[in-house]
This record gives sequence, C-alpha cells and structure tokens, in this order.
Amino acid sequence: MSGIIFEVKDVHYAYLGKFPALCGVDMTIRSGEKIAVIGANGTGKSTLLQLLDGLIFPDRGTVTAFGERLLEHSQDNEKAAHRFRQRVGLVFQNADIQLFCPSVREDIAFGPLQFGVAEDEVNRRILDVAEVLDIQHLLDRVPHQLSIGEKRRVAIASVLAIDPDVYLFDEPTAGLDPLTVRHIIDFIVNANQRGKTIITATHDLHIIGEIADTVYVFGRNKSIVRGGSSESVLNDRSLLETNNLIHMHRHHHDGREHVHQHLPLEPHD
Amino acid sequence: MSNPLHKKHDFIERSILSALAFLKDATMSEEYANRKGFLQSLDPRFKTISFLAFLVTAVSLKSAVLISPLYLSCLILALLSRIHLRNFLLRTLFFIPLFSLCIVLPTMFSVVTPGEPVWSFHVAWITGIITRPGLDGAVLFVVRIATSVSLVVLLSLTTRHSELLKVLRVFGVPQVFVMTVSMCYRYLYLFATMVENIFTAVKSRVGMVSHHRQGQSIVTWNIANTWNRTTQMSEEVYMAMLSRGYTGEPRLLSKFHATPKDWLWLLCAVVICAFLFYRGHTL
Repeated sequence: MSGIIFEVKDVHYAYLGKFPALCGVDMTIRSGEKIAVIGANGTGKSTLLQLLDGLIFPDRGTVTAFGERLLEHSQDNEKAAHRFRQRVGLVFQNADIQLFCPSVREDIAFGPLQFGVAEDEVNRRILDVAEVLDIQHLLDRVPHQLSIGEKRRVAIASVLAIDPDVYLFDEPTAGLDPLTVRHIIDFIVNANQRGKTIITATHDLHIIGEIADTVYVFGRNKSIVRGGSSESVLNDRSLLETNNLIHMHRHHHDGREHVHQHLPLEPHD
Repeated sequence: MSNPLHKKHDFIERSILSALAFLKDATMSEEYANRKGFLQSLDPRFKTISFLAFLVTAVSLKSAVLISPLYLSCLILALLSRIHLRNFLLRTLFFIPLFSLCIVLPTMFSVVTPGEPVWSFHVAWITGIITRPGLDGAVLFVVRIATSVSLVVLLSLTTRHSELLKVLRVFGVPQVFVMTVSMCYRYLYLFATMVENIFTAVKSRVGMVSHHRQGQSIVTWNIANTWNRTTQMSEEVYMAMLSRGYTGEPRLLSKFHATPKDWLWLLCAVVICAFLFYRGHTL
C-alpha cells in the first residue's frame, strides 16, 4: 500500500439542496486498499460512491482523486474526464441502470470504445472478461432477458473491460443467490490481489470479512461514526446495533426456540 | 347475474394487460432472429437494402401477376429461414390483407369504378355490378399489401431489433439518434413490467375498482408515478454512461461484416427488381 488515491475532507451533500445525504464526511483511501462502507438504508453510502466517481460534486468540502481536486468543470474536459474514468469504475446497485445497450456484448464494449480503444482490442477484452465472469453464453443476449445474478455479472464485466485501478461496488451482493454471491466475492478478492483498490458499499455484514480490511460505519447523522479494521468493527456489538446493522434473530434448536443476535464473525451455536 | 360494471372494468383490465403483454412480446420475440436460417445468415445492412428494393418494386408495379412472384419468394425465403409457415401466413396473409380487402371492396362495383361488367347480383331492390377494372384494381391492391406486409414481417422476424436499428447508420442517421432509439427500445420492456407490477399492486390493495372516478384517479396517479420513475431512471442511466466515459458523442461497436454471399444476394435482388421493372414497362 502506498499513495493516497482519494482524500475526502468535510464533505457535505444534499439532494436538490434540501435533503441531506452526507454531512461532514472525512476519509482517506490508499492504493490497493480493500474498504467497506456500511450503514443502514439512507445513510449516504451510494451518494459517497457517486462522489468518488465524479458523478456528483460536494456542496461543501473537497474530494481529491489521484492528487487532483474533483471539480464539475474539470469533467467537461474530455481528456481529463477520460483520464479519471479509465482509473475509476463504478458498479451500480441497479444493474438495469448500468446495462443500457441492446446486447450484453455492446454493454461490455461501451466503456473501452468511449476511451478510443481499437475495435479489435475491444473484441479481445470482451472475450477475456466474459471468460473471467463466466458469461460467454450471454454475450449476444438482450440485457432485460437476464436474471438478476447474470445482470450483476454483466454489469461487473462492463467495468472490468475498462480495467480501472479503483473499483467502486454499490451493494454488489444484494438480492443474489449464494453461488453468485460467492463468485462476486471471489472476483473482488482476486481484483484486490492484482493490486486494484476496492471500495464496497454494503449492509451485508457476512461478506465484509472477505472483501474489506478497513470498514467505515455510516450513521443516521449521514457521517462516519466509526472507522477501523473489519475485525474490530464487526465485533463491536453495540456499534452495529445502534446503527441498525444487526437485529434479533429467532431460531429453533433441538425443539426449543430462542432469540439472539448474530454477529458476522461470531461462530453460531 | 353478472354485474355490467364488473364487465366494463374487466374489459379495461384485460385491455391494459393485453397491451402490456403485446409490448413485452414485441420486445422479447427474437426467437426467429436467433435461428440458423438463410436470411438470418445475411448481413443486416445488405438484407435491409435488398428488402427495401423489393418493397419499392412491389409498390411501384401495376400488375398483380408481376407482384405475385415476389410474394411467392417471401414464402420460399420464410421456409429457408426456418420460419413456421402457418404463423407467417397468419401474420401476413389474413389480418392486414383481409382488412385492406374490406377497404377496397366498394371500388370493385360499377358505382365507383365503371367498366366491363364481370358479375352482377340483386339484393332486395339493389343491383350490384362488379366491373373488370374494379376487380383488377382490388386484386392488385390486396396482392401489393400482402407482399409488402410479408416483406416487412420477414425482415423484422429474421433480424434482431438492435441490428435493424443499427442499420439506420447506413442511411446516415446520426449515431446519437440510433443510440437513443435503442435505449428507448431497451427500456420499454422494463417500464412495461413496472406498469404491470404497479397495476397488480393496486389491484391487490384496492381490489375491484368500485367507481370510474376512483379508476381514473388510480390511472392518473400511475401515469404520474411512472413519469417520476422514468425521469429518475433516465438521470441514473446518464450517470452510468458518464461513469464509463461517455462525453456526448457515443462510439458503438460496428459488428457488421459483409461476405461474398451478401454481395451475391444483393446482386440477385437488384437483378430481380430490374427484371420486374422492365417487364412492368413492357406489359
């Protein structure tokens, strides 16, 4: 781990100027880190990812990426915008938003083509990423005909084809079957091992141990209430309970019913 | 006894659901386009240009005898393209040509088209006379419609919708327009599903709509809600495009590759059209 990639300082953001989404967020993200941003619904996780991807800009405070401040007008310059977007890729929570082309092949090709990659190279990348994500059989399919899990894998493929340095994942495992969750976790872990920086917004605590070394917890006040190693955060029962991340669970064991909480790193008996 | 109000609402419900089902079916039905057949194997650009040439020929010729080989060719091409002939005939031969026959029916009579009588009949005190020019005109009209519809249906059945849209680029339509239409088409299915779900959700909570005013307010609310969601989604899709490097001028994959077979097909199409035009002038 070396240089700083993102530096977020006292960032405030409100939708339409009156619905606060982030209130005074500070964080520093270094190259090669695996970071998870957790919090209940509506605590500003997705907004943070969009800020880091330069899609929206703070009302107050600063976001610095690769040593340069992210400003709205700097994205108007095609060269600067392309330079940044080739280094940062966002996988949206709703795959239907990300897959806007008429076929899977064209969706995967969209990113590289915008960056001026030659068509032969684009075709090679399509085959490569399709193999990595096991979606070769889907290449000529129409996105709306795919299952949620297939759409999610295609959405990841559309970002992987760009081969960015930083991957931003917004709820990558929400609503997926266990096998697809496993594939996505494996993909994230492998990408990180190849030196990619991973930032994941999620409230699926069970995957955090694998996909993150550092965890930031967002609270109802739309700011970070705690940051630290995944182990320390996930073992802090009161922190998770206060922030609506764990709940009481009703179980039947050996014919008797009992109620208790599940902590992600805690073995269950 | 059945309640007429129920029947009325049942009719509206069935109409909405049928319209949505048709929309979804139209956007999903690429079953024939995915088959391995003759027309499916042709480059969409060459196929579209040749079918346009056939269409112009069918519309321009003034003889049903000359147009009918084109119709026969459609049937042969349908078979070669592994299209179920019964379905194809149902789509092309019955509904639209029969409808056009109804339109053209009055022109067969001497009152509209005078000429040599072919057949006359009496109904009550009215005498109907069908004339030769009237009959010829009606036959030409129906054959022309049947052939034109067959050509269009054949092209749309054997070509993926996205590829058909891409062919527009050959005719100089700007890339951004083609992409916008493709995206509209891609999201039609999503919104049709969304409207269907909203309708089911309303039905599950409200049950049978008791008054047309209540029904109107639900429909109005649905329209507003769908509008809001589409606006929100369009903003998010734009963000997704920006995130992957879109800066205003989209660059898309051009995956068309012409082969000698495509050129040969185009040559055949041009020769057939030229021959029919020539025969049309010498007849």
